[in-house]
Amino acid sequence: MDRENRRVISKEYFGKDRLAEHHFRSFNSFLNRGMQQVVDEKETIETDIGDKEGEEPVFVELSDVRVVTPRVREADGSEELLYPQEARLRNITYSAPVFMEMSIVKGEEGEERVVDKTETKVGRMPIMVGSDKCNIAGFSDEELIEIGEDPADPGGYFIVNGSERVLMTSEDLAPNKILAEYDTKYGDEIQVAKTFSQRRGYRALVLTERTRDGLLEVSFPSVSGSINFVTLVRALGLESDEEIVHRVSDDPEVVKYMLENLEAAEVQTEEEAIEALGKRVASGQGKNYQLKRANYVIDRYLLPHLHEEGVEEEETRINKAYYLCRMAEACFELALGRRESDDKDHYANKRLKVSGDLMKDLFRTALNKLARDVKYQLERANMRNRQLSVNTVVRSDVLTERLEHPIATGNWVGGRSGVSQLVDRTDFMGVLSHLRRLRSPLSRSQPHFEARDLHATQWGRICPSETPEGPNCGLVKNFAQAMELSQNIEDEQGLKRQLDSMGVEGIPGLQGQGHDQPADD
Amino acid sequence: MGTTVCPECDGDVRPSDDEYVCTDCGLVVAADRVDRGPEWRSFDDGPADGKRTGAPLTRSRHDRGLSTTIGHGSDTRLTGRKRRRVARMRREHARARIATKRDRNQVYAFTEVRRVVGALSLPESIQEQACTLFESAQNEDLLKGRSLEGFAAAAVYATCRVRSLSRTVEEIAAVARADERELRVAYDALNRDLGLPTGPVDPREYLPRYANALDLPQHVEGRATDLAATAVESGLATGKNPSGVAAGCLYLAATDAGVDCTQADAADAADVSPVTVRHTYQALEERRDAPDDAVGTVAVADD
Repeated sequence: MDRENRRVISKEYFGKDRLAEHHFRSFNSFLNRGMQQVVDEKETIETDIGDKEGEEPVFVELSDVRVVTPRVREADGSEELLYPQEARLRNITYSAPVFMEMSIVKGEEGEERVVDKTETKVGRMPIMVGSDKCNIAGFSDEELIEIGEDPADPGGYFIVNGSERVLMTSEDLAPNKILAEYDTKYGDEIQVAKTFSQRRGYRALVLTERTRDGLLEVSFPSVSGSINFVTLVRALGLESDEEIVHRVSDDPEVVKYMLENLEAAEVQTEEEAIEALGKRVASGQGKNYQLKRANYVIDRYLLPHLHEEGVEEEETRINKAYYLCRMAEACFELALGRRESDDKDHYANKRLKVSGDLMKDLFRTALNKLARDVKYQLERANMRNRQLSVNTVVRSDVLTERLEHPIATGNWVGGRSGVSQLVDRTDFMGVLSHLRRLRSPLSRSQPHFEARDLHATQWGRICPSETPEGPNCGLVKNFAQAMELSQNIEDEQGLKRQLDSMGVEGIPGLQGQGHDQPADD
Repeated sequence: MGTTVCPECDGDVRPSDDEYVCTDCGLVVAADRVDRGPEWRSFDDGPADGKRTGAPLTRSRHDRGLSTTIGHGSDTRLTGRKRRRVARMRREHARARIATKRDRNQVYAFTEVRRVVGALSLPESIQEQACTLFESAQNEDLLKGRSLEGFAAAAVYATCRVRSLSRTVEEIAAVARADERELRVAYDALNRDLGLPTGPVDPREYLPRYANALDLPQHVEGRATDLAATAVESGLATGKNPSGVAAGCLYLAATDAGVDCTQADAADAADVSPVTVRHTYQALEERRDAPDDAVGTVAVADD
């Protein structure tokens, strides 16, 4: 390549806008759709009003959420646009008001009526400097200088109480993937297939293990201990021996293993299986409740990532059965030495949580907290015979507090600490490096030699030499200069259609297609 | 530690860690055994927790923020009878947090104060002061037969007035659970029995907000402030609704500066009728038309 072209490329890669680009993209997509998604998940706030005789039930419907750009409300009541430099100098928070449309709905089911529908300010959202909602977005260098901003500043951080905080990118094990590995139980080596199933901030670990007597057992949250594999797939609607075997594998050796399992099966039909499961999840309860609970547990806690908007539970269940069969296959293949155990340090098995993802977690818990408060305030207002109106039940400081405090202290939801750090302003390079740093959640007080090693798959993604010395060595890494971070897509149907047109077969939940396809991982 | 000069050699004294040392002769002039420097232990990993204190005391909670809760423990989960017992204790303890009806009212009123303060984006110190005011009202037995919501809102209103950050009764009533009548009743009671240090509202306190609502530039607001000052000094504003005076001043300042602003707009922003705006406006105009030397001597038209 000739020198001119190389120069153009490096200009692009080292340009100001690219250095913190991953932060901007992540945070912007959080603002543009992540927030609305979280609100849509929440959908309504139920109250206990109406439990009493002769009282009409009340609930709140949440709809559009909107963020404006950062502004400051002075003590005298005037409101002005806030620029980052002013926030830094006055030790205030660079945050923008968040508005949400809420409606209080009253009445028995079928004859509900909206009592009050208003767009109200629910709190303030800290805004990333340089993001779409930042007041300096799209400013020219001259304009930036005019308002006291450094045109060379890369942005990508927040300003809370005047101090600049970056959200550290964190490197997690990829969710929704089957990882096969060896483990030991009572001194014997066993094979385990693991999946961190994740959907809407709920994360459930599903384990399928092949015990030393060759039987498969599955464990997942809400069930103590483990459940026989065959029982579980039968409960999910995969009934016949033949079908179960076929779904696991056609390999004769694996089939042999599977037959052993089927021989030891406790139940034969779907009903029996659900009964058996019911005894496990609600032992000592009434039969009806056991069945209800069993069905609830299957649909709620088992492999939640296979659920999808607009796909029925029925279909999801059979997909869950197929998925468990994939996990079983992974166990058997590992036992037969057909595959090696998966490498946790392989970069294909890693996902990065950038600022937008972290803010989404935060916003979700903050919104839940707000919802609980609104519920309480509504009930109180109702008890005191007050007119119920949106404006008088929302306390805007609840959300604000929950959003600002973690960024200010670094104590994130879920007990992680050190998530936000003070921007390293030692020198300009320090800032750049800090914005492109990532952290492994592994404890630094333990050796974790493999995790600290440079892995071949980090080539082109992670800088091979920039890592601190000492306890954090190899756990704190930095992006390679030309690294590109790919992002989750918005339109899953579109992705599926595209994959389908490229020849991928058996995509579950693809609209306008037969539903007889199995779900693989 | 006030000394900056060494008593032995008159050299410079510098603080280093917990001692004050002379930079020339090395004499330790004074020692302060409390090391105020950063902590050297690392709390990032492991169970050790760097916290030694809780949040500061606050008047805006019924227990001053000094509450205890029975937690869930860290590592071992209790089972069976013991867990039920602890759960029961937890519930009883939570109930015992609020001992009397008076406390319960306080909790309710304080959340309402907090909500109103948040909704109006007032500074946090207002919340603290309003809560204290509410408590005094409770101590003086003013609440009997009047509404809690009214007192909560009135406490905020009164605090704003005392601090010269006046909000109008209408503005507060719009976000409060109390209606305007409840608010006025409560405020009158506060004012009468607690002797609040408030005078008539200066129209200038309203100007920044109205100017902001009308989107008027800074210089117009400045001009309006001057006008309002003359209006107050000359007694022109006496007996008039300060909102109306503020709106009138803004309108006059805007028209003088050639900025687009109608009387209706100004009246809307101040939540008064256009007639009220016009009154102030005309009075100010008349005053300006009168010769300069007449200032102060001519009693302004008695309106």
